[in-house]
Amino acid sequence: MTDHDARAEAELLRRVDDALTAGAVTELDPDDRALQELALALAAETPEPDPVYAAELAERVRAGFPRGSRGRSLRKRIARRLPTLRRPSMPVMAGVATALAAVAVATPLILEDGDRAASGGSAATGGGPEPPPASADDLTTLAPRRPESGAMPPAAGGAFAPGEGERRIERTAALTLAAPAARLDQVADDIASITDRYNGFVLRSSLTTGDRGTTGGEFELRVPSKRLPVALTALSELGKVRQRSQTGDDVTGELRSTTDQLQTAQAQRRSLLRRLERADSDSETESLRGQLDLNAGEISGLKRQLRDVRLRTDYATVSVDLEQHRDQDSATAGRDSDGLRPAVDDALGSLSDSAELVIRALGVALPLALLATLLGLAGRQVRRRRREAALL
Amino acid sequence: MDPWWPRSKGMTEAIAGRVRAVDRATDVESFSTLYQRTFPRVYGYVASLLRDRAAAEDVTSQAFERAYRKRRSYRPGRGTREQWLFGIARNAALDELRKRKRRATLAAEPEDLASLSVEQDVERALRRAAVRGALSALEPRERDLIALKFAGGLTNAEIAEMLGVSESNAGTKLHRAISKLRETCND
Repeated sequence: MTDHDARAEAELLRRVDDALTAGAVTELDPDDRALQELALALAAETPEPDPVYAAELAERVRAGFPRGSRGRSLRKRIARRLPTLRRPSMPVMAGVATALAAVAVATPLILEDGDRAASGGSAATGGGPEPPPASADDLTTLAPRRPESGAMPPAAGGAFAPGEGERRIERTAALTLAAPAARLDQVADDIASITDRYNGFVLRSSLTTGDRGTTGGEFELRVPSKRLPVALTALSELGKVRQRSQTGDDVTGELRSTTDQLQTAQAQRRSLLRRLERADSDSETESLRGQLDLNAGEISGLKRQLRDVRLRTDYATVSVDLEQHRDQDSATAGRDSDGLRPAVDDALGSLSDSAELVIRALGVALPLALLATLLGLAGRQVRRRRREAALL
Repeated sequence: MDPWWPRSKGMTEAIAGRVRAVDRATDVESFSTLYQRTFPRVYGYVASLLRDRAAAEDVTSQAFERAYRKRRSYRPGRGTREQWLFGIARNAALDELRKRKRRATLAAEPEDLASLSVEQDVERALRRAAVRGALSALEPRERDLIALKFAGGLTNAEIAEMLGVSESNAGTKLHRAISKLRETCND
């Protein structure tokens, strides 16, 4: 379209608008007057509503369109609601779908991370705030030293991997506790009583004494493996935890190997005994008796090994070092590290976790939201075209 | 037993009820104003498009009721209230057309011969008949445009917004439709 055409078009529309605004012909030129007369005629052609209908609708507007007005039947009212039930609005559907997809995608990622954090963290802690008490799960996921047989480490949650049979884990824990000098004796007593409470026993203990009484001590405890987590929790509460470490060593292979060796030795013994029964000569008898003695020694040694392995796996070894509080003079700092700092660390940790969750959710939700928006726009366009199709 | 709580709760509910009632009354009043301002034009537009008085009454009622129920969804940033209302009315009218499988090109309603017979000015009566004939000859899209302009009284910008086209594009289409009407009337 040329500029001239555009100007002519604008002029024509202006004349039409002038006539409609004034409600009369305003131009002098016959052509323009004809155009304005046409515009007025078109406006005059507008159908007018029936007064009765207009009054009725005005009344309904004043009443705020009461539901069930105009004697609408129950069926009609239900039918009127059905479209909203059948077709919820597109933004709502898109929002719900996006939220569901975000949750569905983010949850496994978060859980996976949680598992990774539980299994990948170092078992040892040193200084700083006291770590939370280790659970049975923690213990079973502490990267155990692989046995020579290449047996799989135990599964999380204390359960053994299916098909692997009963696994034997040798657990050890080391704890360094600090307590005020005045309380060291009491803490030492408490260590023994806690061990006793959980059906364990003190294998070795030593207390160091100085000019001002007890200054420290070392304890080697045996605690039933199944009760190790609770026992550690109880021990940790006796003083300030300076260091704590835990290890789990899968000795299933070792146990199997020893058991096999024992069975072989026992079979050999039975064979030797049968041969002894059938021995014809003294020299043969003597030789067999010698072999039986050696075999008995071997069996005894293997049984001892088995007992030892079972003892090591049934009972966890806990080493506790008891120390005097070195910073007891800085009572304020101590209180701070016992109370405020862990709280701040916890809060920061929670904040970091929340931020991670939000970022992950956004990472999933934003593309989905974009997609949903595009689909919504496309849907709107399609609906519009379908409507406009009525004018074709 | 605390005698104050139930009384306080009742009072709160009563106040909340009054506030809701006042809000509703204000809402209705505001909508009534819009209704009074636009009703004849909305009806005129719908009737021009549908060319069926009974259907136009149903669709107009439906449009106003729909607008009333959705009045909180109106966003000033997306146009004037009139524009929003006409959009609803247009959608309702197009739905009606589609539902009935009727085309806007269907024959117009029988002319009101009585009104023509009492027409004082024969020339004006003829002129009116010519305009009606020209309107019937228009394409449905063009008649929609003419109805929005002359029955709905919308500006070119409002029409453009409603049709989802530029203002100049709407002007061109309008110009074309008016030119076509002029030609038909002159014939």
